[in-house]
Amino acid sequence: MPARNAQQWSRPPSGLKPGEYVDSRIYSDNDIFEEELQKIWKKTWIPVCHESELAKPYDFRTMTIAREPIIVVRGSDNRVRAFLNVCPHRGNMIERRPSGSFAEGTPSGNPKRMTCMFHAWQFDMKGNCVFISRQEEGYQDRLCPKDVGLRRLRCEVYFGGFVWVCLDDKVDKTVAEWAAGCLDCLQPSLDAEPLEVFHYHKAIIPCNYKLWHDTNCEFYHDYLHYHNRITGFNDAYFARKNSGFDNGHINVGSFEVQYDKYEGFESRANVSFPSLPPNHWYMIDMFPGANFNLRGSALRCDLMTPLAPDKVLIEFRGLGLKSDSPETRRARVEHHNTIWGPFGRNLHEDLLAVSGQGAAMDSRAEHRHILHGRHENETIHDENGMRHFYDEWGRWMDRSPGNPDQRYREGHNQPGVSA
Amino acid sequence: MSSNGADIATAVRDTIYLASLLQDDEKWAEWLDLCDEDFAYAIKAYSPEIQYDMTYLSGNRKELQSITEMLPKHNTDHSPLTRHTVVYTVDVDEGAGRASAVSSVAVHQTMLDGINSHVDAGESRLFLIGKYYDKFKIADGNVKFAERVVKLNTRRLDKGSHWPI
Repeated sequence: MPARNAQQWSRPPSGLKPGEYVDSRIYSDNDIFEEELQKIWKKTWIPVCHESELAKPYDFRTMTIAREPIIVVRGSDNRVRAFLNVCPHRGNMIERRPSGSFAEGTPSGNPKRMTCMFHAWQFDMKGNCVFISRQEEGYQDRLCPKDVGLRRLRCEVYFGGFVWVCLDDKVDKTVAEWAAGCLDCLQPSLDAEPLEVFHYHKAIIPCNYKLWHDTNCEFYHDYLHYHNRITGFNDAYFARKNSGFDNGHINVGSFEVQYDKYEGFESRANVSFPSLPPNHWYMIDMFPGANFNLRGSALRCDLMTPLAPDKVLIEFRGLGLKSDSPETRRARVEHHNTIWGPFGRNLHEDLLAVSGQGAAMDSRAEHRHILHGRHENETIHDENGMRHFYDEWGRWMDRSPGNPDQRYREGHNQPGVSA
Repeated sequence: MSSNGADIATAVRDTIYLASLLQDDEKWAEWLDLCDEDFAYAIKAYSPEIQYDMTYLSGNRKELQSITEMLPKHNTDHSPLTRHTVVYTVDVDEGAGRASAVSSVAVHQTMLDGINSHVDAGESRLFLIGKYYDKFKIADGNVKFAERVVKLNTRRLDKGSHWPI
């Protein structure tokens, strides 16, 4: 078959059915992106940080979900709570630092208070307004602190100490219910004892957030990675299962990685996480854009913040056990960084690949079909993980991923559409 | 400082600048020839996000040799990195045969194949900033790197790099 002309190129390959490809507009169209923020990112549980990042009472972390500034604080009761990081007075962002402690006072406010520096309104760790400067002079009896508390958000600490936030007050599931069993494979390893974040860096990549999630969901791209080919490609690797769970989540089953086959690398068997067989490797991808990746000795977590159709902030974390000795921690950090650090072997390659996808999917370029049609008995190079994700995406968006001009049900009723 | 000490300080500066040139030219073996057999290398940064002193990459001379020799097997961004290095301080302990130096470094990336070469190639961007904290062994008038810690200010590293800084 020769290269295709424009008409042939605009059609999906004849052997593939709807559901086995998506339209590139879902990665580039601004209206679809804005709709995703409203319909998905503001409605689902999003992991935002790890509790070790706010270890002591009055510690805090700030972040953003769907353009809404968020603050997560640990109260004097040790409970972690989340609020919009917005002052109810004139809408200023209350806390500007990425992390810190409210135990000390600030130039505008008292210790143990969240203080908006603009007009010195102060809030306690439960989000109650506790001080309005010159309240009686300005508001007389028309407004009092109880009327102007912060906007509280649904918040849970779950799965090895990750902090989850949902912007929708009416979310009808707990995080455990939302996970629908996808976390079970790693729960014994992550919940055995407290974890601690030892690595953080971030990347702003010129591509749609789903392209990064897709890359985390499919392992066919291991052809990109010399390291993974040399340490992985064997019968056990090709037998790894891709499993779908309710709500669009997937996980990838484990096998024993032969780390010592890569020159200069060593086995990770002596610093495995609890309950994890030596050198094993599990991966969990949660809808709409979180990834938990445990390679024997180090846990990686990718959290995404979509910024634009063609721009995503990815925060990369590495975690070990809080009880690590200095020597064990050093080993975990090295194992993490040699593959996943900003100067590691694999992460750079993955980010190059999705940058190339982003460059080829400019919103003003012609749209095309992106193929998710590999079937290999739901094993490692099957693309069922991406198909499972996009089936869920279609439901939340009420759009067909293969033709976003169609409603989900119209596309869904076509033959061959299934996860 | 004795005239000999001044000579050693000059040799330390020259070695740091030569290392930058060799790294810019991706002459990794020649760069490692400037390093002692017990050389230790690390890229570090403090994260105000997690309030933790992080190590982004570490290795001894043998590990760095392995990393750099494996580069052709890896897909990579070939956009060259160029180091602008300024040596701020040099301290020589002649009796102990040691010296240390602190340098400022700004690394620029001249785009080649990182994203869309038609649009981006030829454009130079700031890749990262930081400092080199170097330690040297001095023997028979020769200066060899004993340790280099690259302490980064930059923590938003986007695609990152396969190359030592």
